[in-house]
Amino acid sequence: MQQAEIRDFLIRFFSSSDCSLLPVQNQSQLKVKLTKQMDKLLMNRPFYWHYIEQIGADAETATLTFRFNDQSDEGEFIHFGSPRLHQIFNTAEQMGRYIRLYQVVSSQASPALEPWLGINMKISYQCDLKKDRLISIGLQMVNGTLIEGFQSMLGKLELIARLPDYCYTLSPLITVKSGIQRIERFIASELETEPFEWADQASERWKKDEDLLDAFYEQAEKKPERYNQEKKALEEQYKPRINVRLINAGLFYLQSSTFMPQFIKDR
Amino acid sequence: MKPLIQFDRTWHDSFFKRINEDGPWAKSELFSLAYLAERERNVPSFHGLIAPGRLPQLKLHAHQIETARIVIEEMHGKAILADEVGLGKTIEAGLIIKEYMIRGLVKKVLILVPASLVLQWVTELNTKFYIPAVPQRKAYVWSQCDIVVSSIDTAKRQPHHDIIMEQDYDLIIIDEAHKLKNHKTKNYQFVQSLKKKFCLLLTATPIQNRLSEIFYLVSLLKPGYLGDAESFSKNYKSGIRSVKNEDKLKALVNQVMVRNRREDTGLHWPKRIIKSFDIPFSEAEQTFYESLSELKQNGVIQPFSLLTLQREACSSREAAFVTLNKIYKSTATPMNERLWHNLFDKLNRVNQNAKANKALELIKQINDKVIIFTEYRATQLYLQWFLKKNDISSVPFSGGFRRNKKDWMRMLFQNKVQVLVATEAGGEGINLQFASHLINYDLPWNPMRIEQRIGRIHRLGQENDVHIYNFATRGTVESHILHLLYNKIHLFEQVIGDLDKILSHIDLKNVDQQVSRIFEESESDGEIKVKLDNLSSVINFEQNQLETGDHHAASGNS
Repeated sequence: MQQAEIRDFLIRFFSSSDCSLLPVQNQSQLKVKLTKQMDKLLMNRPFYWHYIEQIGADAETATLTFRFNDQSDEGEFIHFGSPRLHQIFNTAEQMGRYIRLYQVVSSQASPALEPWLGINMKISYQCDLKKDRLISIGLQMVNGTLIEGFQSMLGKLELIARLPDYCYTLSPLITVKSGIQRIERFIASELETEPFEWADQASERWKKDEDLLDAFYEQAEKKPERYNQEKKALEEQYKPRINVRLINAGLFYLQSSTFMPQFIKDR
Repeated sequence: MKPLIQFDRTWHDSFFKRINEDGPWAKSELFSLAYLAERERNVPSFHGLIAPGRLPQLKLHAHQIETARIVIEEMHGKAILADEVGLGKTIEAGLIIKEYMIRGLVKKVLILVPASLVLQWVTELNTKFYIPAVPQRKAYVWSQCDIVVSSIDTAKRQPHHDIIMEQDYDLIIIDEAHKLKNHKTKNYQFVQSLKKKFCLLLTATPIQNRLSEIFYLVSLLKPGYLGDAESFSKNYKSGIRSVKNEDKLKALVNQVMVRNRREDTGLHWPKRIIKSFDIPFSEAEQTFYESLSELKQNGVIQPFSLLTLQREACSSREAAFVTLNKIYKSTATPMNERLWHNLFDKLNRVNQNAKANKALELIKQINDKVIIFTEYRATQLYLQWFLKKNDISSVPFSGGFRRNKKDWMRMLFQNKVQVLVATEAGGEGINLQFASHLINYDLPWNPMRIEQRIGRIHRLGQENDVHIYNFATRGTVESHILHLLYNKIHLFEQVIGDLDKILSHIDLKNVDQQVSRIFEESESDGEIKVKLDNLSSVINFEQNQLETGDHHAASGNS
């Protein structure tokens, strides 16, 4: 992530969480006055807030100053490795977990909005090494249409939090619960078809180390506790597995012509 | 083997709850940002290192990055890091922890280091790597904190021992791991009993004496990798120190050990500029020094004590007084009262210290930070007083200081005062690479101590040439040591770490005792010279041997 992108992210993050951006002299700085909620999330000072709330005084929320270059002007140097940025990333994920949105449609269009379940997930391939990929899936909850790359589609639409006055939503035939199951089944079947040499190689490494361990304790009549422990450690180190976890999820009510047929993965 | 696919479903209920209760829902922008944050942090490949890109303020060397990569990708996270001293093993370890944390392979880390290094590790991990490591101070730290730095001695004691055994560590790091070479010690058994998913053993001297040491070290990491104890000695041992099937062993060891050597790193190492000063005693000092022999001639002290006294007198009259006074109190009789009176009288007449004058002259001339090393606490105090009198501020440093006092003194030296007067290099002590001038005010008889002294400033991060000034008093035991031994074995030019290898290889760990014996048992200066010559030739011979054919299994990676 480049410094300009980080700056852009921070501006979007703080404006959307109602903090006020204060004027600064140049682009290499960002100054922001936190709201009470954001102060509690970012500043790690529970005793202060407990005290203020006990005596009912007016709280003075913190002001944060960031700088984007390494030189020694005022403020906290922020870059892709700084703990503060990752704290903000985590806060964004925490605050942006579940959503419900409606598409804004032109008055000529059909007022009926179709219900979609959208889920963003992170897939981690793990043995003694690890890699991830993200997957974003949308499921239309009337006819079961399923598309990949849902999140980037959403980015192109105008969405609001409340149902537009002249629109109505179609009733889903698929429940959210079975919708989630369908999506999981789809991801699982996709993962099944992927090549898994990486897992084979990890198993080989695992087997090799386990054989050495067995040989080491071969002479022992009764295997010591250490042996079982080492064995367990090897499993944790090498056992190939794929973990799928949620990034965020939501319900979306969209116009039926939103998605072109070529995006459809499953029905 | 097909990987197991696991879905995290713990989020379902909170999602259903929001649907049933119609909110609260996130803001549209935050929903997008959450996805963006995760996309930016996505690590799309098993290979390569992510961590260096996230540490823009840390200057990493190529060999450090490559080491981290090899450990993770080729050694699967279990390795001995055996770089030569001063190449940054701590940095490599930090980089490996960081990489594993970024990738989410490691959460809970236990770092066991010598007690004197606990805070240094914590500071380095916090400031250089943004790794939230904490020193173990209270029992609850073990379970409450993810990354804990502690000494083995604390960790193996109750109640800590049992609490640690209950923790589920992803990564265990042990600094100065060569101390675990004996499998019968409590420390070894403690480390052996820890569950090791990923494990790093850090040491600068992986093989010191016996072949079995490398066996026990590797067996901590990967039991069975070198066979069991029996098959190991059958396959590789012929005698205590000799190896058979050497190439095979070397190849095996190199797959679990990374050893970077100075000459291979391609780094520019600052030069060492060495100056020795033969400083004549003042007349009063000379008289005092010579009169010490009268104690021996009159049978008051043994040759060994005389030697000690002479060495102290070469440093300062204050240092000699401490010992003299002790001997006086235990041996004084009316019979030898006159002898003692005479001696203390001569001591009292010493009104200046020739070396101190020289040091003062040098310090003024250098006009930069200077470290003075002395063997004696009394000399340390005297020097501080003497420098103060001449308007030069200094701080003391001793191995016995508590950690935070050491840190404080180091800070003062770095930021405020010109001179640090140290009594102990402390092999695993402080790093002072911001200074580049070092005075050996007196010379320890163990050459390893000299190496440790120089190692404080001649290390990675030193940007200037290193100046070393050796003081020896002319015509004394000290000048013999300097000219007949240290200069002959090129001690001051030695690469850090080599000497240790040489001495352990010829079983000469206690050079100081050897040297003492030479002085005590020799009848004349000529005899001393011959014997010291012999000693230096042995050391030089071994040194040449090591240079021509490095026959250690530890000679490089793969």
